Amino acid sequence: MKNIKKIISAAVASVITAGMLAGCGGESGGSATSGKLVFAIWDNNLMEYIESNDMVGKFREKYPDADIEVEKIKDDSEYWNSMKMRASANQLPDVMFNKTFTLSRFQEYLLDLSDTEACKNNALAEGYALNGKVLGIPMTAGYEYVYYWKDMFEEANVSVPTTWEEFKTAASTLQSYYGASDPDFMAIALGAKDEWPDYPYMEFMPALVNGNGQNWNDMAKTDTPFANGSDINTAYHRVYDLFTSGVLGKDPLGLGNDQATNLFAQKKAAVIALGDWGLQNIQNGADSIDRLGTFYLPVRESASEPFRYVVQGDSFMGVTTHSKNPELAKAFVEWFYSEDWYPGYVNYVSSASSMTNFPKDKDPILAQSDEAQPDGQPVMYDGGGDDFTAIQNETAFDYKKLGAQMLTDGFDLDAALEELDKKWTEARGKLGIE
Amino acid sequence: MNSLAVKRRRFILTALIIPVTLLICFVVFPAFDLIRMSFTDWDGLSSSSNFVKLENYISMFKNKDLWQSLGNNAVYFFVHLLMIPVELAFAVLLNSKLRAAKFYKTMVFLPYIINGVAISYAFSYFFSPVNGAFDNLLEAVRLGMLKQSWLSDPKIVNFVLAFVSLWRFSGYHIVLFTAALQSVNRDMIEAATLDGANAWQMFRYIQTPSIMLMVDFILFDNIRGAMQVFDIPFVMTAGGPGYASSTFTLYTIKTAFTFSNFGLASAMAVAIMAIIILIYLVQNKLIHGIILKEDKHDENA
Repeated sequence: MKNIKKIISAAVASVITAGMLAGCGGESGGSATSGKLVFAIWDNNLMEYIESNDMVGKFREKYPDADIEVEKIKDDSEYWNSMKMRASANQLPDVMFNKTFTLSRFQEYLLDLSDTEACKNNALAEGYALNGKVLGIPMTAGYEYVYYWKDMFEEANVSVPTTWEEFKTAASTLQSYYGASDPDFMAIALGAKDEWPDYPYMEFMPALVNGNGQNWNDMAKTDTPFANGSDINTAYHRVYDLFTSGVLGKDPLGLGNDQATNLFAQKKAAVIALGDWGLQNIQNGADSIDRLGTFYLPVRESASEPFRYVVQGDSFMGVTTHSKNPELAKAFVEWFYSEDWYPGYVNYVSSASSMTNFPKDKDPILAQSDEAQPDGQPVMYDGGGDDFTAIQNETAFDYKKLGAQMLTDGFDLDAALEELDKKWTEARGKLGIE
Repeated sequence: MNSLAVKRRRFILTALIIPVTLLICFVVFPAFDLIRMSFTDWDGLSSSSNFVKLENYISMFKNKDLWQSLGNNAVYFFVHLLMIPVELAFAVLLNSKLRAAKFYKTMVFLPYIINGVAISYAFSYFFSPVNGAFDNLLEAVRLGMLKQSWLSDPKIVNFVLAFVSLWRFSGYHIVLFTAALQSVNRDMIEAATLDGANAWQMFRYIQTPSIMLMVDFILFDNIRGAMQVFDIPFVMTAGGPGYASSTFTLYTIKTAFTFSNFGLASAMAVAIMAIIILIYLVQNKLIHGIILKEDKHDENA
């Protein structure tokens, strides 16, 4: 109860601090390459790398008159809360990060980076341009994987699935094989209590059903996107069938992501779907990862359809309109993605490189997914633009929550989708979206 | 008016300038701005917003998830309310000549000073369905059949969370009651003892009426706390499954930050303020109108 006060006071404090920092930047800002920058991040791995490799010192070797303040915010949801408040208070940091689903929300506060070398060398940046403007340079290319224990698959005589049906069958075979002796066993670990861990299913599957990375934006163009036969309807029915088939163990809603990941690492579960970042977490909790394997989540109905998997730009580094030294901030972005910094960083993290001039070999465990599907088609995922975001806010459509709701007693998917359609139609009318 | 009175008045006015200015800047002005915002469609980001009249209030009344959240607040309210007499009894016990009373006082107060997020995190492991300490405890005392989906069964989840809240805040109430009991006039107690009052009569006719101000405060704190409960459900269940354990504040924050609807969220914040005041008035009426009136009757009789 008292925590709300704490959060508000922390927010006020951070706004005031940011104000002071921005003030300093303004005073010292003279030429294009001098002054102070505030660089706000949430990623723990990045923070660790910045500190242990003296990023500020290295940058100052090239720009001796510049200084950088790295501001670390607890986690990404706290990051968006703080950035929203600071945006309205005119106090955004000089350099900030975005995700695919926040780019459109912050677009009026971001400068166009399409003329930078970093943009030209980035494999994904232009794909996420809004109105022809590149508002952020993705730091990594994000892939989604299904992690599994090979020894458990072998013992239960299950092979790596390549279609949705095979995936379902594999999960139920594993559940009945190991669940017989261990009532706590989960074929698929899912920390549904936290809601967000269902995103590999709820967020990406609609885009994968027919390979439409623009699915959210296309949904904004119709009144009844959840109707029978639509991609999202098909995808959510598949998810519902899987989630309610008992393969998530006895009580997935009682577990958070940390618990679910740890249980998987301890082989109390055979499968878990996470992003590339998940590998480090599994490694931390497991005794050995020698028998750990990965495959892409098979969403296709039959082997005759192309095999699709999601790829997205992650952590879009952008320069804000509130920057007092936009030229220096751009120079920092250029430097970040140059030989002086980027290759070391990208080799440090488990994620893939987004830069064409600094390719990186995938981790051998993650590369197994590509080996299993050499003809797989990547689907470039878009988190949804203005219209989608506006309708989503108006209708309070929360796909991650919906995924968790599927696991509750008496949940009626068809009724839920029908109601969403109704709200969607109303919202489009109210917002005047054509 | 003599010069001393003028000086005194001048001193009081000067001393009040800073607190009043701070109050206006950080309480009064934001409160008015909150009310103003509740009539707009501000999204938390744009530099402009539109006046939408009562639309936010209407959509708030129609929102069944919000009503469900408010219903969940009621669980905290009643669970805590039912425990207040027990807390008072504990306070009386700790106030009597109990051996190691200080130690017990520290023990009951301890949960209150531990960080709420840490408590919630620890309890979510305690009630975990896999390797959960509580389930293991039940097994150990051969009550394994009572095992439940503590955090995911919509029927019980709010009671589990209210229990955690109770664990955390009861000690605070007990300490407040103890402090109030210690301030009860010694002469009165001695007089009652001489008149032959037993422990119950002492409690009923001397101690309780003497600490009525504290009882009032704790009852108000209970309403405020129950209506604004946030950290425990936020960390332990994130309001889930669905909105089964969401609370009014949790829903308000989700509306503001997840769905970027600060106008609607402001309307909710105004509503919760109104609800707190309303419940307080009703509760006050009940307590002072019925319980204390009874005292007066007793006195007359």
